[in-house]
Amino acid sequence: MKKAIVLFLIISMSLILPNFSLAQSKTEILIRNATVLTAVKGNLENTDILIQNGKIAKIGKNLKAAANAQIIDATGKFVSPGIIDAHSHTMLDAINEGSFSVTSMTQIQDVLDPTDISIYRALAGGVTTGNLLHGSANPIGGQNSTVKFKWGKPVGDYLVNDAPPGIKFALGENVKRSNFPPQPGQPTRYPRTRMGTMEVIRDAFIRAREYKQSWDDFKNGKTKVQPRTDVELQPIVEILEGKRLVHAHGYRSDEHLNLLRLAEEFGVRIATLQHGLEAYKIAPEIAKHGAGVSIFVDFWSYKLEAYDTIPHNAYILWKNGVNVSINSDSDERMRRLNIDAAKVMRYGGVPEEEALKMITLNPAKQLGIDKRTGSIEVGKDADLVIWTAHPFSIYSRVETTFIDGEIFFDRTKDAQMRVEMQKERENLEKMEVNRAPGSGGTQPRVPSERRKADRDDAEDGDGGNQ
Amino acid sequence: MKIRIFGIVLLAIALFSTVSAQNRTDVYAVTNARIVTVSGAVIERGTVVVRDGLIESVGADAKIPADARVLDGTGLTVYPGFIDALTSLGIQTPARPQTPGQPQQQNQQPQSNSNYPNGLQPEKTAVEDLRGGDAQFETPRNAGFTTVLTVGNTGIFNGQSAIINLGGESVSAMVVKSPFAQHFSFRNLGITYPASLLGTFSAFRQMLLDAKRLQELQKQYAANPRGMKRPEDDKSLEALFPVINGTMPIVFNANLEREINRSLDLAKEFNLKAIIAGGQEAWKVADRLKSQNVPVLLSMNFPKRTAASSPDADPESLATLRFRAETPKGAAILSQKGVKFAFQSGGMTNLNDFFSNALKATENGLSKDAAIRAMTLDAAEIFGIENRTGSIEPGKIANLTVIRGDVFAKERTVTHVFVDGRLFEMKEKPRTPTTNSGGTTPSTRALAVGGTWNITLEVPGQTIPGTLNLVQQDTTLTGTMSTALTGSSPIKDGKVTAEGFSFSVSVNAGGTNLDLAFNGKVSGNQVSGTVDTPQGVISFTGTKNP
Amino acid sequence: MNVKCKTQNVKFLIFLLLAAHCSLLTANAQSDGSTQNLLGKAGTFAIQNARIVTVSGAVIENGTILIQDGKIAAVGASVSVPSNAEKIDGKGLSVYPGMIDAGTNMGLAEISSGASATIDVQEVGDINANAKAILGINPHSSHINVTRVAGVTTVLSMPSGGLISGQSAVINLWGSTQTDMAVVPTFALIVNFPRVSTFGGFGQPQIDFNEAVRRRDQRLEALKKAFKDAENYGRIKDAYVKDKSLPLPKTDLGLEAMIPYIRGEKPIIFTAERKRDIDSIIKFVEETKTKGIVIGGQEAWKSAEGLKKNNIPVIFTNMFNLPVQDDDNYDTFYEAPSKLAQAGVNFAISTGDNGANVRDLPYQAGTAAAFGLSKDDALKSVTLYPAQILGIADKYGSLETGKMANVVVTTGDILDARTDVKYLFINGRLMPLTSRHTELFERFKDRK
Repeated sequence: MKKAIVLFLIISMSLILPNFSLAQSKTEILIRNATVLTAVKGNLENTDILIQNGKIAKIGKNLKAAANAQIIDATGKFVSPGIIDAHSHTMLDAINEGSFSVTSMTQIQDVLDPTDISIYRALAGGVTTGNLLHGSANPIGGQNSTVKFKWGKPVGDYLVNDAPPGIKFALGENVKRSNFPPQPGQPTRYPRTRMGTMEVIRDAFIRAREYKQSWDDFKNGKTKVQPRTDVELQPIVEILEGKRLVHAHGYRSDEHLNLLRLAEEFGVRIATLQHGLEAYKIAPEIAKHGAGVSIFVDFWSYKLEAYDTIPHNAYILWKNGVNVSINSDSDERMRRLNIDAAKVMRYGGVPEEEALKMITLNPAKQLGIDKRTGSIEVGKDADLVIWTAHPFSIYSRVETTFIDGEIFFDRTKDAQMRVEMQKERENLEKMEVNRAPGSGGTQPRVPSERRKADRDDAEDGDGGNQ
Repeated sequence: MKIRIFGIVLLAIALFSTVSAQNRTDVYAVTNARIVTVSGAVIERGTVVVRDGLIESVGADAKIPADARVLDGTGLTVYPGFIDALTSLGIQTPARPQTPGQPQQQNQQPQSNSNYPNGLQPEKTAVEDLRGGDAQFETPRNAGFTTVLTVGNTGIFNGQSAIINLGGESVSAMVVKSPFAQHFSFRNLGITYPASLLGTFSAFRQMLLDAKRLQELQKQYAANPRGMKRPEDDKSLEALFPVINGTMPIVFNANLEREINRSLDLAKEFNLKAIIAGGQEAWKVADRLKSQNVPVLLSMNFPKRTAASSPDADPESLATLRFRAETPKGAAILSQKGVKFAFQSGGMTNLNDFFSNALKATENGLSKDAAIRAMTLDAAEIFGIENRTGSIEPGKIANLTVIRGDVFAKERTVTHVFVDGRLFEMKEKPRTPTTNSGGTTPSTRALAVGGTWNITLEVPGQTIPGTLNLVQQDTTLTGTMSTALTGSSPIKDGKVTAEGFSFSVSVNAGGTNLDLAFNGKVSGNQVSGTVDTPQGVISFTGTKNP
Repeated sequence: MNVKCKTQNVKFLIFLLLAAHCSLLTANAQSDGSTQNLLGKAGTFAIQNARIVTVSGAVIENGTILIQDGKIAAVGASVSVPSNAEKIDGKGLSVYPGMIDAGTNMGLAEISSGASATIDVQEVGDINANAKAILGINPHSSHINVTRVAGVTTVLSMPSGGLISGQSAVINLWGSTQTDMAVVPTFALIVNFPRVSTFGGFGQPQIDFNEAVRRRDQRLEALKKAFKDAENYGRIKDAYVKDKSLPLPKTDLGLEAMIPYIRGEKPIIFTAERKRDIDSIIKFVEETKTKGIVIGGQEAWKSAEGLKKNNIPVIFTNMFNLPVQDDDNYDTFYEAPSKLAQAGVNFAISTGDNGANVRDLPYQAGTAAAFGLSKDDALKSVTLYPAQILGIADKYGSLETGKMANVVVTTGDILDARTDVKYLFINGRLMPLTSRHTELFERFKDRK
């Protein structure tokens, strides 16, 4: 009798375990015999990668793994670093606080939605990490969140805790509200010109400086009354202190250049120029300032500001020594950043590994997380993608996506899941509560203020831009 | 003929109203009843004595005072008066459901001298907006409720709630506890800051930080005003002092897992005494609720399918199907994990659903004892009034609900309700009222109301156009009700009589679910009537679309 | 060239400053400058030693293609090359027919947001059968050069919106005038087929399905009425032509324009995505005995039988769209072309783009190949198949003797994003590989 129970346990364990280990376990994983695109040290053929405790433990040929290790045969397949999207608005319940010109007090972290299906679809396109940004309705927007797309995990697990904090800036027509006339009862917001935009930012910098001074005076005993803790100015003080990365949305070269100059006046280095559709026109100046640029590879002409961009943007910036990343700003485009990166090889002739960096190591650097991710090197987080072919090949497809050594997308598992979901659906539809016609009641409420598919200037639910 | 009509009128009164509160007889004894004390064991056959608004004695052998009016409780069960843990009952303010992300109409309320915009005024209190009078509470009282939490439901800060008994000619007579808690909704103000969920968080943070500072400065100033600029007298911030000091709970309206997590994050950040209201997905966060010791005012308004079926329609999402299947299981999980909770009606119009859904919760693993506690003593404990009410014990407020049979029986009838010792006696409904109405069957006498009607809903401050598509089959009414605001929703429980028609409809106004009950009359191509909404009764008129 | 570009930029600035008067300057602002007007070099060309992907036949691993008088004069492993031919060494290069996108607004929409003066996509009102895309296409749109240098040489440009949007045009991405460009100036009538939509607006609840059906039915009645009106109009006209004693019918341009389409003489393109709407179209086509084409086609594979039975091809425009429902498979649209192919439905892959991103056409086809479609079908879905649907397969869509010489010479697989275009011929003209983009690139690439 006892034996029967033990046997039963063993059988049931063995039934559960393979599934379980696929998503959950922290045991060793050995990826065997792949072409490994390291993004830093070239492509390694017939190479193994050993994953231990979520990290890349070894890279080499004929590696040995523990007896209980999960072995994945990747013969004929390619492994790349997980793709990093340096400009995304996915998994957000709200994108823009469009009321004020300066909304540095808002935090993207407050509005994360870990149930957004776009996360899973991004994983299926090999994306492991994203820079989730506030929209572009304000010269100074909200605080960003750098996340890894750990679909199925609690929202706290998404946050890359040691990523430096950042903030969104924006320039140009969105902050001028050119395409968003005030609604009835809403006053016309300052600024309405590029002149005013610069003044809003300058004013915020100065207010933050004075705010900091008031606290210093209080701490030094110069004043008695404790100043207010100002959630708007606090993050701007951090910018001035170099502790918060500025991701500055802009299209025209002149406005980006003006921002660089303004920042330099205050001793601030802008972390990234976002979009930078005309960044190629001022590539030497950007290189000198030390900002990175995060661009659409070739998306253009969707508005006047986007008429002067060229697909050679990446090449010119790269040639000038600027750190370039290619972003999506879209839940749809995010799924094919590998093809976007492939395009830069054609437009100007960026070498393959440099092109790959533009969706891996370069955005990691822009987000300040390159110590842990962005390339395949021993000691880094095991954020990896297995592809059926070279990721730049149009015929390639993602097989498996790892984050911190865990599998978050797997095409075989996806096929199983379809069957399971169908079964679950059949069972649920049979339930009384799901049968039509109902007798009233409530639909689940989804507290989202935004449209689904999005790109930079799709009108937002709350009347702003992304 | 005349007599017959008179009979119908009498019957109508019996059906639609309770006989009003008994005259001054202050001493009652309910005898031979089953008594569910909640605080102690069930007394299978016993007596409860009520005197001067309080429970005088309870027990199998409790002595029946000579001056008591004796009510024979044979076949009846006495419960502590049921508590609805979140309502807007008696609140006068015209409440408008707010649509997140949508510009709001300019609020009709008079300007206050607050430094903060309407919607961000925590100084608002339910008692200020309450009106006196018993009649307004007839429906919930008939359903068996004696006590509710009430608070406005507009804005980000909904204001400070009151716990009231559903009886009393004056507000002061109703109030059991006020203020109880500050109430908060994850809404935004539309076109002014905070105009998005993002801003709602930052506005909340800034106000709490400012309140902390103001409190500190006021202390400093009180101690030594000389040489110090007088701190502002800011009633909005001052209203938050008890919240930041942890002496007043803050109730977060949060149904989804992520909303609840956000609430718990804020509670942690500012060390607040949080309560979750709604809590449809609270079971998913049960461990966290337990560890942060946060109770839940759990909505009994369980999700139901509203869409009619059609082979061509899009299949419902798995998330929707799961949500409906899982919500009734939530209470059992919370109970098992040791999270304290009370039941609330969640804006439903038909309060019978409250009890049938509580029954559903017990069918999904919640013990019946726990379910009863969730509408009595546990609610009282969450409100901090367990020393006064929530159970049948001598000395407690005489709030009692008397039911023929059992509260969890499919057919239950509330026969008596005591509120503060006042008896509200119910006339039991005849089982088949229509058979008494005369020789003709209703179907031949029913009005013809089918067709498309263009209607106008008179919401305070504005009118909302809408359309009724009514399909009549004898006395049964089906179809849809649509407005630009809510889209189209199928009607249910539609009936047509000789006098008029009625139906109810669940609408979703920008994320807020509302149950509306329509009662209408038709005359030629004109239609008119009333709509019962969670915020009060409004009227509608309209014409037939030829 | 620099000088010209500068002038161009000054104009561009003026354009920005004088937004109110932008319509006057638009044409200039959009113009590419000098090379825009270089309409290519006519002549006799021989591309030799190249890998020739004929599409219609086998791949010729090492062959020659001879271009003469705008046409493909010869193609094969051994072709005799006339002495006057300009010889192009195709060693290491591949030759393909120009790609065809059968679902764009090319030339009708320059800047989709914030510059309405550049938009000519949708006329006022519901019924606009007489609106003709060919009269709205801007031959100097910068999208044209940008698209063709990526190897797309022919597109269908369509008006959209309303109920009957107007008439589409098949154009080559070449020419100074609309006439130069026209391949089929009025190809198909575009019908924005009424759909059952429960979408209630952003942030708004869904519309009840039965209500949505009712609304669809109302729109469908309007469409049927328009067809009936055109039918009656046509009958009266015909009767008058035969018998002049009848009263002279009053001309109605809209109804007049519909006649060849409702009589099944010319095709009608119906927009539809969902099965329920595509099934309605099938029924409509059966009832009206018209020549239908479906554009959109998200769920077209689910209606394969009806589509095949009625010989209705599908122009699939959803490769780079997100799945609609949360529960949809992540690759549901990636897989759709393969399912259409398996079901035997005639189809083409199209970007459905307004113009600027039509150059992504090869990558959309390639992605379909990554998800089950054969590489051969993927290539055909942007060459021969759209040519067949557009009724121009006798002239375009493959490399065959006698066809028009729309020829692309590439560094590799034309569907791969890394592949570059080396030579491009439209109607036998060797085109300069320049565009607004290359000009700006040239101007700024060496700026220090």
